[in-house]
Amino acid sequence: MLGAPNGRDGVRSPMFVLSFLIRRLAQGAVIIFLVSLLIFTLLRVVPGDPVRLMAGGMAPEALIEEIATKMGLRDPIVVQFGRYMGKVVQGDLGQSFVRPANGAATGGASFNDATRGERAEVLDLILETLPMTLQLAATALAIALVFSTALGVAAGLNPGGWIDKLAFYVSSVFISLPNFWLGIVLALLLSVKLGWLPAIGYAGYSYTILPAIVLAVELSPVLIRTLSSAVAAQMGQSYVAIGHVRGLTLPRIVLNHALRNASVPLLNVLGVQFSSLLGGVIIVEYIFDYPGLGLLTINAVLQRDFPLIQGIAIVTSAIFVLINILVDLAATSIDPRLEY
Amino acid sequence: MADMIDRRRILLGGAAVAGAGFVQINPDFLISSAYAQSGKEMVFLSAENITGNWDPTAHTTLSQKNIEGYVMGFLTRTPMKLEDPGAVVYELATDIKLLDPHRLQIKLRNDIVFHDGKPFKAEDVKATFEYGSKPDRPAQWYPGPSETLTIEMPDDYTVIVDTSKGGYPAHLFIFLASFLPIMSAKDVAGGPGGPLTQRLNGTGPFKFVEQRGNATILAAFDGYFRGKPAIPGISFNFVGDSTTRMLSLMNGQASIVERLEPEQVETVKGNPKLTTNEVVSVENKYLWFRCSKPPFNDPRVRLAACHAIDRSLILDLLGSAGHASANYVSPVKFGYVDLKNYPAFDPDKCQAMLAEAGFPKGAGLPPLEYITSVGFYPKTKEYGEVITSMLNDQGFKVSLTVLEPAAWNEQLYHRPGGGPGHMVDCGWSTGSPEPDLILRTHFHSSSHRICGVEDAEIDASLDKERNAATLEERKTILQTETMPLLASKVPALSLFTSVMIHAMQKDLTGLYIYPDGSIDASKPA
Repeated sequence: MLGAPNGRDGVRSPMFVLSFLIRRLAQGAVIIFLVSLLIFTLLRVVPGDPVRLMAGGMAPEALIEEIATKMGLRDPIVVQFGRYMGKVVQGDLGQSFVRPANGAATGGASFNDATRGERAEVLDLILETLPMTLQLAATALAIALVFSTALGVAAGLNPGGWIDKLAFYVSSVFISLPNFWLGIVLALLLSVKLGWLPAIGYAGYSYTILPAIVLAVELSPVLIRTLSSAVAAQMGQSYVAIGHVRGLTLPRIVLNHALRNASVPLLNVLGVQFSSLLGGVIIVEYIFDYPGLGLLTINAVLQRDFPLIQGIAIVTSAIFVLINILVDLAATSIDPRLEY
Repeated sequence: MADMIDRRRILLGGAAVAGAGFVQINPDFLISSAYAQSGKEMVFLSAENITGNWDPTAHTTLSQKNIEGYVMGFLTRTPMKLEDPGAVVYELATDIKLLDPHRLQIKLRNDIVFHDGKPFKAEDVKATFEYGSKPDRPAQWYPGPSETLTIEMPDDYTVIVDTSKGGYPAHLFIFLASFLPIMSAKDVAGGPGGPLTQRLNGTGPFKFVEQRGNATILAAFDGYFRGKPAIPGISFNFVGDSTTRMLSLMNGQASIVERLEPEQVETVKGNPKLTTNEVVSVENKYLWFRCSKPPFNDPRVRLAACHAIDRSLILDLLGSAGHASANYVSPVKFGYVDLKNYPAFDPDKCQAMLAEAGFPKGAGLPPLEYITSVGFYPKTKEYGEVITSMLNDQGFKVSLTVLEPAAWNEQLYHRPGGGPGHMVDCGWSTGSPEPDLILRTHFHSSSHRICGVEDAEIDASLDKERNAATLEERKTILQTETMPLLASKVPALSLFTSVMIHAMQKDLTGLYIYPDGSIDASKPA
């Protein structure tokens, strides 16, 4: 790895940040390209002809072949991929195979019908739903961080104590709960029985809370364990003992020093957890009928909507790459000794 | 107030030129609901998505037909109750009369306007019929293509449907009148790709506002001829997961949900705020044989398979979601009768048929694939496993393929050579008492819809019943010739009739739900 020239007081120089970003973005572009190639290829080798779904089950074979040929779907995969990526680099993710411009999930289309409505742009569909998912993810992350920090830090400050054991048990229980089951149970309890929160669909921010809680429960175990072990490790460091000798209070030592250092492993874990969050979002959004990227993904898969699946894969892998770059950048800012 | 007519009177009349009379029904019976007084928007959660093309002639999708039921106007409506499947309620029409076997006169109301303000006239009926019967329209609900029809307009509020050129009787349009949404001539003139595809424009109690993601938004129509509905609006939402639909109903977000699993019925019955509506539907569930490829190109093998299946076990498994029937159409369809020769569970007959076809105890039969879906119809996977097991018990070598709805839909229809698999599970539901929407659609050689049967004898019988001069004569031919013939050749086995189960908030009690799942929510304020 390249060296990491530091400015004064460990602050990264602008040149370092620039070179870091260029290098990591270039790596990210390669990752996104490979993910696109993989998804593109897999979609074309799995059973299920999207043209038949588009044209309708009653469509004659000749019409299916005519449409497929017209759309280039009978060309070699490499040719199709080259054509597709040529458009993607210009910001064109193509049009959905089945969704109309109004974005409705569709099915039961009919064959040989010249009156089919205009098809939706993949980019528009993603841009409409992505903010909903980011809102859900941010809320879930906030809930998970608040809960995990409280429990994880307390556990880390009392290794072996009852609160450490509690953190362990809570983490074990949370990690064992399937998110689809928890979603249904929480909806029954908090929405149906108690009427505290709305559960299904979206008509305001309050509809985000319940699915966010489910995702937060999924995220918390790793965060709790990471924080508790990191804080416990930091509290065993000599600078903590010296802090006591210098007359610093425990809260100050913990908040200003131990937590800062313990946050580096937490940040790295958060980067990885984000990918599992995207996976969890698919199930949770489906259960709660939350109109985000997850629900869009499920419907796209069920309808064999290739352009939409490909577009979502590209966008989510790009988000994943960017989040990890930001996490690494933040980590090197906190601990200048780190090199990425 | 709609005129009151009695269809039986025409049937009894029997003469070819008899006037069409109908049971006189007060349309106000359709809804008597406290919900209507509450002024709340009705939120309907549908198990099925829509097509994305609003042209009513472009699809056969039930959920979209249900939306059309709110927005579009129909010449008549048919409540299709078990006790009187043929009863008809006038809506846009005031009188329907057979002038002769090939000419049907339809008198229209003169106080109707479309949601876009255009007055409803005979030209709209003419445009609808001529456009909908075009050979390139995918839905294909008409008895013959447009060149077989002549639509005359003696005045702005009279239409005469002349089927002389097609040679089939005009009375076929009596039942179709309740099934064909009437479009505006102006919209039809817009041609393919015009306004028809972009939005619904009808004369029904609710007007189309917009499609918001998976929600179709409708608003009560001020100019509805029976008065603006008390329910101010309807949000018709596609929610694919049945648990999600149920949770939404239980927490009060949804007003009404459809296609309950039998277990969910018990949950609803234990909830004092909710109620259910069960109606014997127009939908039969079928096991379709791929009749154009071996071994099911041999009627004896098909019959053997039918005798291997104990349908009472399937009904036990379905519980309240199934209704016993022994015909190819639902008991709420015109012409239904329990067929005496409908194949019953009989292992001895099964073995006799197999031996006669050259496959004693199943020896020599190829491996067979039975395709079914999971997630849309209740219990398909479960009873698919039961059917597979029963067939294998008799010597068939059947494997069950369970697919999610999109993949199943892709495999469903006939293709040259027969299509995927050897048997496939599917229901067929059409919101009209007209039996040919099933019989002719599926069993005439010209159709090939799913089973792909080609049989000159069946074709001749279907043509004969269609061409019968009177409804009464047609009914006799259906019950004594066509339907028994189908039961002897079994291009498909109708397993049972679906019971359409809706659950709703208790204040919606009394809402009239048709056997095809469409809902009358038009009660005026």
